[in-house]
Amino acid sequence: MIRYVITLCDGPSCMQKKSKELQEIIEKQLDNLGVRQKVQINLSGCLGMCAKGPVMVINPGYTIYGNISEKDVPEIIESHIVKKKPLAKFIVDQDHLFNRFYRVFGDVNFFGKQMRIVLRNCGIIDPENINDYLSVRGYEALAKVLTDMSPKDIIAEIKKSGLRGRGGAGFPTGFKWELAASEESLEKYIICNADEGDPGAFMDRSTIEGDPHTVIEGMIIGAYAVGAKKGIIYIRAEYPLAIKRLEKAINDARQHKFLGDDILGTKFCFDIEIRLGAGAFVCGEETALIHSIEGSRGMPRPRPPFPSVSGLFDKPTVINNVETLANIPVIILDGAKWFSSIGTEKSKGTKVFALAGKINNTGLVEVPMGTTLRQIIYDIGGGIPNNKKFKAVQTGGPSGGCLPEIYLDTKIDYESLLAAGSIMGSGGMIVIDEDSCMVNIARFFLEFTQNESCGKCTPCREGTKRMFEILTRITQGKGKEGDIEKLERLGNMIKKSSLCGLGQSAPNPVLSTIKNFREEYIEHINYKKCRAGQCQGLFNFEINEKCIGCGVCKKVCPNQAIFASPKSKYQIIQDKCIKCGLCFKVCKFNAINKILKEVNLWKRN
Amino acid sequence: MEKKLVLVHIDDRPYQVEAGQTIMQAADKLGYHIPRLCYHPKISIEGACRVCIVEVEGMKNFVASCAFPIADGMKIRTHTKELRTARRDIVELILDNHPEDCHTCERDGICELQRLAYAMGLRHRHFEGEKKDYEKDLSSTAVIRDPNKCILCGRCVRICSEVQKVNALGHAYRGFKTVVMPAYDMPFKDSVCTTCGQCINVCPTAAFVEKNYTQELFEKLQDKKFVKIAQIAPSVRAAIGEAFGFPPGRAMHLETVACLKRLGFDYVFDTQLTADLTIMEEASEFLERLGGKGKLPMITSCSSAWMKYMEQFCPDLIENISTCKSPMSMMGALLKSYFAQKIKKNPTDILSVAVMCCTAKKYEAARPELEIDSLRAVDIVVTTREIAWMIKSAGIDFVNIKGEQFDEPLGISSGAGAIFGATGGVMEAAIRTAYELYTGETLMDIELNDLRGLSGIKEGKINIDGKEIRVAVAHGLGNASELLSIIRKDPDRFHFIEIMGCPGGCIGGGGQPYAGSNSIPLDEECLRKRAQALYDIDRGKTIRRSHENPDVQKIYKEFLGRPLGALSHKYLHTHYKPKEPRGIIPEEIKAR
Amino acid sequence: MANPLEIIKKKRAEAINSIMSKGYLSKKRVYVGMATCEIAAGSKDVMDVFKSAIANGLTDVYLSQKGCAGRCNLEPTVEVIEEGKIPVKYCKVNKDMAKDIIEYHIKKGEVIKDWIIK
Repeated sequence: MIRYVITLCDGPSCMQKKSKELQEIIEKQLDNLGVRQKVQINLSGCLGMCAKGPVMVINPGYTIYGNISEKDVPEIIESHIVKKKPLAKFIVDQDHLFNRFYRVFGDVNFFGKQMRIVLRNCGIIDPENINDYLSVRGYEALAKVLTDMSPKDIIAEIKKSGLRGRGGAGFPTGFKWELAASEESLEKYIICNADEGDPGAFMDRSTIEGDPHTVIEGMIIGAYAVGAKKGIIYIRAEYPLAIKRLEKAINDARQHKFLGDDILGTKFCFDIEIRLGAGAFVCGEETALIHSIEGSRGMPRPRPPFPSVSGLFDKPTVINNVETLANIPVIILDGAKWFSSIGTEKSKGTKVFALAGKINNTGLVEVPMGTTLRQIIYDIGGGIPNNKKFKAVQTGGPSGGCLPEIYLDTKIDYESLLAAGSIMGSGGMIVIDEDSCMVNIARFFLEFTQNESCGKCTPCREGTKRMFEILTRITQGKGKEGDIEKLERLGNMIKKSSLCGLGQSAPNPVLSTIKNFREEYIEHINYKKCRAGQCQGLFNFEINEKCIGCGVCKKVCPNQAIFASPKSKYQIIQDKCIKCGLCFKVCKFNAINKILKEVNLWKRN
Repeated sequence: MEKKLVLVHIDDRPYQVEAGQTIMQAADKLGYHIPRLCYHPKISIEGACRVCIVEVEGMKNFVASCAFPIADGMKIRTHTKELRTARRDIVELILDNHPEDCHTCERDGICELQRLAYAMGLRHRHFEGEKKDYEKDLSSTAVIRDPNKCILCGRCVRICSEVQKVNALGHAYRGFKTVVMPAYDMPFKDSVCTTCGQCINVCPTAAFVEKNYTQELFEKLQDKKFVKIAQIAPSVRAAIGEAFGFPPGRAMHLETVACLKRLGFDYVFDTQLTADLTIMEEASEFLERLGGKGKLPMITSCSSAWMKYMEQFCPDLIENISTCKSPMSMMGALLKSYFAQKIKKNPTDILSVAVMCCTAKKYEAARPELEIDSLRAVDIVVTTREIAWMIKSAGIDFVNIKGEQFDEPLGISSGAGAIFGATGGVMEAAIRTAYELYTGETLMDIELNDLRGLSGIKEGKINIDGKEIRVAVAHGLGNASELLSIIRKDPDRFHFIEIMGCPGGCIGGGGQPYAGSNSIPLDEECLRKRAQALYDIDRGKTIRRSHENPDVQKIYKEFLGRPLGALSHKYLHTHYKPKEPRGIIPEEIKAR
Repeated sequence: MANPLEIIKKKRAEAINSIMSKGYLSKKRVYVGMATCEIAAGSKDVMDVFKSAIANGLTDVYLSQKGCAGRCNLEPTVEVIEEGKIPVKYCKVNKDMAKDIIEYHIKKGEVIKDWIIK
């Protein structure tokens, strides 16, 4: 009967360090000890720990031995397998749950440069099978806190870890818990905010779909720490699979006595309920989220009082983001000391980013805080496709700012992104190349936020609309002198005066593009020129002499703007053209030119 | 207990203020009136308009002073350059999405937004753009909603849900498209709106106004066919002066009568008289119920908004409701029967107009069950505001006019009829009469101070012939619903209950003059003064008990016979039926 | 009574046994990405191909689903782990490719190099 699986790294680096030879020695030693039949030996692809090679992993337990030489092996085998005592001096990060991601074999370029704590099980275990989670030390953190940690210990540990809310604002999680724990109330709530509203961000969905139990375990630990008896996962209804997996996970957890009364044989009782959100962006704001759960319209209210004092049904309430909660079990198991060794001075741990836009490897990446934007975009993201030039990166979803090339070496953490004029947000990262017009991009994001404004406070409701109108005007070539100043004036006022985070950050895309790409605004307004050729009011389609008169363009034109003329067979009536670009796309003879307008107002005068 | 004091700096001046209040509350007491819009002391803090922002040292953003608690060592600035610009821009943003039709607007000159824009020094505009474009909701007989004028301060939503607990209004849609509307955008007439008009009272603009009948009335007053008769509600006289610049608390019924005569009314009668009549009927009905004939506690039925609320939300208590009509409808009924006979006119030739403090009376007047021989008892209802405007519009000098008395035979009233307009008044008046009807002795101590004042639910006890009668009074539908839940739990706790739909009773009705420039809507001090005006009328009368009113006695002798008699039942009583509104029905009622 | 840590250790041992008993130590382990994004890209069809292959007699294969690993542009992904060999991850797999993976890689041990993530 096989009791252990030894996995030897057979990546190029370890191979050089003679991992193959090690296998023979291991086999020999196993024979010597008479335990050969208990152990299975595997070779694996690169485990991504080349610096510590040769590397050997013994399962179960995921004990990783590194820097081992031929003479060490017999000792390790004897100690670990016969004496059942892992040999500490060769163990590399044995306790660190995140190491398990190295099992994502065969894709080391992408994963090797990441550090997966939150996503440690995503893409590895079967999310619908609680046994998979249990096999990777699942619910051990819960057992640990219930066995020998008091709520105060937990809060102290989380505070020590330096974990900050991953929902965007970066409020220290331990402090939040402490506030709620210090409130005297028989009823308290813990809410998991899974109302992921940022377009392009999907780390919460992925976490829940890939590893729902982690979030549940984090919630139970949080509930134990603050004294909540009831938890609510507020998740948007647009995530049916995540909801299904959560429901299954909650049911499985109940059957295993991780939820419900007398959890794991202790007196602690806690249960979780799922509430579905209708997908309003503003419901990610915690007071709006509370209103939504209470059954009211999702509109934020002024704070204070903060939810930790008076939240759901006016009871003390802790609201944590999915990603924050997924960090909790790891911190409990591997310790605050280790966790706080990752990251920068004020931002600890890792952060998941959703890479999107003009980048080769779109997807989810998790990196330690302090990684530079360049590392993410070029090393992990694989750079910009089609050899285009990098223009900007937009972080923090629709409320974030656009950072140009000079910020590429910014080390990502809450403070440095803020200083650069953007925000961490929930971790959206959209890469913009030279083909994109910054004015148009600012307009795009503002269109989203102004549509999603709850409509409560004046600056956000009316102000973003006016900014949007001005931007629309500029992109249509109708920009006026003074428009930039108006945008800045409105934007700064909205930032400082709005009721909630949505309004306070809505002008960011505009203000940051004005700051970093002012010349593009000026070109649009003064020269009626869009250098990226994206703004519909600022270019024309014209048919050139290559036209053979096939008539395809005329057929596709939705506005009958193309007609046959004797001179060049076909012509576009500019007044009727809506710049949809269909003719440009269907023409097989390169007979349609996209001509950028450029008016030099100085010359004309 | 002494409150904890904290030291704060406002605009660099140090002050000791009590802890536990908001920046705005503290500043108000120190003479800093921070500009504001969505804030109203009676309802919850919304923090929506952002006009009241101030700068607090150490805070990244401006804070809304209405919502932010004051703290020790706080350094607050209320009018830095940046703040002034921000506030100005915020008010401009509101104006930019508001129809610029001040000259043709009903609230021109008495509009909070106008005042605010003036105070902010808006002299030119920077950010004009698209404006919202919605249709007016003209469906209701009483309240008109104009979403285009709405600035989304949310006061109406909050007063409707928090003070009145009707929840007829809510925000719908998001962002720029946000609009305040009844559930599912149903027409007002089909919604749960009780037409109390409190939304009109608190609206800073003209997004809510009463349905205006002034033009129709002006036309009919010129029509020779009609005998034109007006009745004036008790609380109109306590407030109408405010519309002409008088301070609150002056009873100006004589001036009003004189003005109405000049507007073309042939007779001006006093609704206080039918208030006395109501008391006769209601007190008799109460004694009958007390004697075992009918359900207790008996609940008053004078308030039209309350009646609609009751039919919609508490049909389980329908048997507890007094069958008496409201004084207005009683007067209307008498005009088209008793008085028509007296002046030998066909009831169809009588134009019955009611000048009311109330918007819901417009709704009541149109109720089919209150018709007299298939004729509406009251043809037109105008509010205090409307009549004040008509007087101004017709060029009648209200301020300097010589007062005139109400006409006979429906002009004499007792003090009991006057106090109908203030919360607790109906109960007080009813007890004065019921006591005597029951015991045969005159109640000497007639001022029941337990039942006066503005606390939400008031309770009182009176000993009638050795029997302890427990009474309760609620004003505002929110307080009413609270009182009703007490009754549902403990049906024997009270014998007699008075409910008025509006805060303060009729004096705080939805048709009363708008708050002036130095006042706020539904200001408690103003309500108290209006009530005092009515109590002063009561005190000034020699007849202070309804049954002593000679006109009432004459009506019974000449026409009705006796209280609760056959003719009384025909003309003065009615019955209510449950209504199922198209809104949301509370679970507790659905379960029944 | 056992403390929570002891309970959880027992549960983990049971869990591992349960996974082992389902053939975890088979010659080949196949993981199909089954998050919303992967399903949208077509991983359900791919999963069905593997399931029906096993139903139709493919042996010594442990098949499991997994969550999203973050490789959005390359989905659906199929990971094949073979004892003693470098594991491979196929990207942008469709039904026909899944059949080929079974035919060539799983049955014959030939890795289809063109389809793996490099």
